[in-house]
Amino acid sequence: MTKTALITIIFLTSVVIGILVGPTPLDAQILQLRVWRVILGIFAGGVLAFCGCLLQGLFGNPLVEPYTLGSASGAALGAAVGILVFGAISPVLAFFGSLGVGFFVYTIARIEGGLLRDRLILAGVVMSFLCSSLVMIVMVMGGRELYEILYLLMGYLGIIINDSNRLMIIALIIIALGLVAFLYRFHRELDIISQGTETAAGMGINIQVFSLIVFFSSALLVGLVVSLVGAIGFVGLIIPHVSKLLFGPKHRFNLGASFILGATFLLLADTLSRIITVYELPVGVVTSLVGVPFFIYLYKR
Amino acid sequence: MHSSSFKTLLTTCLLLLCIARCDREETTDEYRIVSLSPAMTEILFSIGAGDRIVGVTTFCDFPPQAKKITKVGDFSHPSIERIIALKPDLVIVNLPEQTRTKKDLDRLKIRTFVSSPHSLSEIYAELSALGTTLGLHEAADSLILYMKRNIDSVHTLRRKKVYVEISPRPIVTIGVATFLNDMIREAGGENIFADLDKDYPTVSQEAVIARDPEIIIVLHPQDITGRIGWQSIRAIEERRVHTGLNPDHLMRPGPRLVEGYWALKEIIND
Repeated sequence: MTKTALITIIFLTSVVIGILVGPTPLDAQILQLRVWRVILGIFAGGVLAFCGCLLQGLFGNPLVEPYTLGSASGAALGAAVGILVFGAISPVLAFFGSLGVGFFVYTIARIEGGLLRDRLILAGVVMSFLCSSLVMIVMVMGGRELYEILYLLMGYLGIIINDSNRLMIIALIIIALGLVAFLYRFHRELDIISQGTETAAGMGINIQVFSLIVFFSSALLVGLVVSLVGAIGFVGLIIPHVSKLLFGPKHRFNLGASFILGATFLLLADTLSRIITVYELPVGVVTSLVGVPFFIYLYKR
Repeated sequence: MHSSSFKTLLTTCLLLLCIARCDREETTDEYRIVSLSPAMTEILFSIGAGDRIVGVTTFCDFPPQAKKITKVGDFSHPSIERIIALKPDLVIVNLPEQTRTKKDLDRLKIRTFVSSPHSLSEIYAELSALGTTLGLHEAADSLILYMKRNIDSVHTLRRKKVYVEISPRPIVTIGVATFLNDMIREAGGENIFADLDKDYPTVSQEAVIARDPEIIIVLHPQDITGRIGWQSIRAIEERRVHTGLNPDHLMRPGPRLVEGYWALKEIIND
């Protein structure tokens, strides 16, 4: 109970910091911008960490997350194709990119009766690089500038919100939150599966169907996030571990805590990214600065 | 295999090939130019050297005759092999975008002319140097004179604050190290990001709102008037957002800057 209160307080503090701290003094207009930015931060950070927790539970692998699985870069590739074809980022194409790469990585890592842990990460990282290169090619061929590509591949919360995209953004966020609520209901199945697939099968869980549901939904979630704010890395990796340290292995607490802590982490990272320099940095720069050492630590452990 | 040694091998082979071919053909007095800069292509045509151009980039679309010239790649990725195949006496390169191409050309001992203007005076200096290089200094001087005469200083008591948006995602604008910054000043305005010591900085929405521009010039097709948080900006309140300008008249350091300047002058002194 006290831990729940603690993370709630930290979360609310990060929201306040996200709104109050910035390079310009606050007025009504700036407030509107910051509120939107905080909403996007909660949405992106929460969803990415939630997906990370979900996938880590499903695969029983502590290094899995949308970014290391390659599905974030796959979504970015879909988004880039959307920019080229329709002149705007398309959530549908981002979803298919995310799903396609996710499935490809899954197929590579699958062997008779199970998954190869290391191969999953290896394939994911390789596909991530491949997709980043393809994003480059697609964007350069479309006459786009390098900075645009950089912000798509690293993620950026300071996107422009106007009359024409406001409703779409709200709709996407509602769909995402609905999906999160739907997936949360599977916390018991996740607990059992992370104990081992044999036990799960013995308890009557159809692992094939369950994996498909989780995989498909998390690909959709990643696609939604990337189509709005780009491919932000490492939130989905670090946060579930922190949450596990605080709340133990039960997904009933873990999934929710991951969402809240993910939102908190991204809000703080974003605040940092906009006060470090006069120029705006992609938020992925900050999350990677924290995330890469953490990744190495986990791998070495 | 290290890529550097592979590159050396490759360039040596190409060089040998080039020398072999040069030997077979008779040398001509004709001066062969490859222009990798759309602005310089325009300049070459306007000083009467258009017929000497043997290669351009896919971005070189003005004057219309330029489109008929052999392409050697796009602005950021010119093909060194295609350039060599055209046996140029001079290659005009843009820095910093074409730094790699310049290095390759230097290694092959192909003469280059560097274009990298960050101000109006640098444009004039480059033009003058180009005139000397090509032996066309009279034509170059008269072009400089034409530009200087037309891009004249407007005297104002108070400079209007101007914001130029090049790209919306992320927001890219112009800093002090651009000729467009100079042109805005000459036209009686003041670039709101003139304090940023860069050419094309990425800035935040907050920074634009805090600097409260009186005039906004948009050089991309997206509509900016419905943006959340931007409604208190004076330019938006007073409907002084200008979208119809030709980016090539403002971003390309060539003779058509004059037309861009006229448009700026009209907007700023309206």
